[in-house]
Amino acid sequence: MAASKASRIGEETRIDKVNAELVTLTYGTIVAQLCKDFEDDYPEVNRQLDKMGYNIGLRLIEDYLAKSNTMKRCANFRETADMISRVGFKIFLNITPQVTNWTTDNNSFSLVFDENPFADFVELPDDGRAQNELWYSNILCGVLRGALEMVQMQVEAHFISDVLKGNDTTEMRVTLIRYIDDELPPEDD
Amino acid sequence: MVVYSFYIFDRHTECVYVKSWMPAQSPGTAPVLSTSSDDAKLVFGTVFSLRNMVRKLGGDDDAFISYRTGQYKLHFYETPANLRFVMVTDTGSASMRNVLHQIYINLWVEYVVKNPLAPVEHKGGAGVNNELFELGLDQFIRGMM
Repeated sequence: MAASKASRIGEETRIDKVNAELVTLTYGTIVAQLCKDFEDDYPEVNRQLDKMGYNIGLRLIEDYLAKSNTMKRCANFRETADMISRVGFKIFLNITPQVTNWTTDNNSFSLVFDENPFADFVELPDDGRAQNELWYSNILCGVLRGALEMVQMQVEAHFISDVLKGNDTTEMRVTLIRYIDDELPPEDD
Repeated sequence: MVVYSFYIFDRHTECVYVKSWMPAQSPGTAPVLSTSSDDAKLVFGTVFSLRNMVRKLGGDDDAFISYRTGQYKLHFYETPANLRFVMVTDTGSASMRNVLHQIYINLWVEYVVKNPLAPVEHKGGAGVNNELFELGLDQFIRGMM
């Protein structure tokens, strides 16, 4: 039930389109520049991408809430996962990653990307390290972390496999750490 | 319908925007709500407590929408990202929930959030006070009155 509702929101939300290749090339340029700036220190590039994504997520969530017309919170983390995949990814990247591999406590799931607009045309550098160390689409982890933080969920997100590295799938692991409490007004003194 | 004042509070409970449409001279009819920072604090304290009480009594999905006194009606809307919009109008006005939602979607998100150079957090109201937002809000509110 919830899944079909989420699909409908994702399908029906009208959104301005932008050329996919422009996105791919822009993102590729950012990653390439980071690799250059940090002299192929790939773990640092991953960190920077995550940080950029985080800052994007903090803003993007507002656009998501406005576009999807979401008036209330998800009841549980499963619903959140559905909304991320079928509404969030659908309206911003026009893809619907699969939500699978739930842990039994419902606090951790995987997003499996059948397609990834960021990674079209991409081949990782053949320097023997990028294949192991660089998570090309790491910005997405940051986006999820930032966006969910704004709606009171602290999560941890990282990629565990990537077709660019020769894996069979591109898979991101998202784990709920805690729900953040409302901030209280400061006491008067 | 008359709108007296309008407040936005961010998730850190700080008042990031205040505006008042109070007529300059209002002999006794309009409520004596000013827009000083003390009042903003009081308004926030009130809506915050009411919202929490509403949730306690009506369940987590229940929402505090408005309250009315003899002098004014206060409307409240909260986004899932804990941004709170408050509007004070005359007692006769209908529900402003939709209006506040529209302000969020069409003005806040468009002009404040999407301004790439505005900060994400609006400490002391930084970044909110931009011309487009100000103008859009004023037009929108005057259009309703």
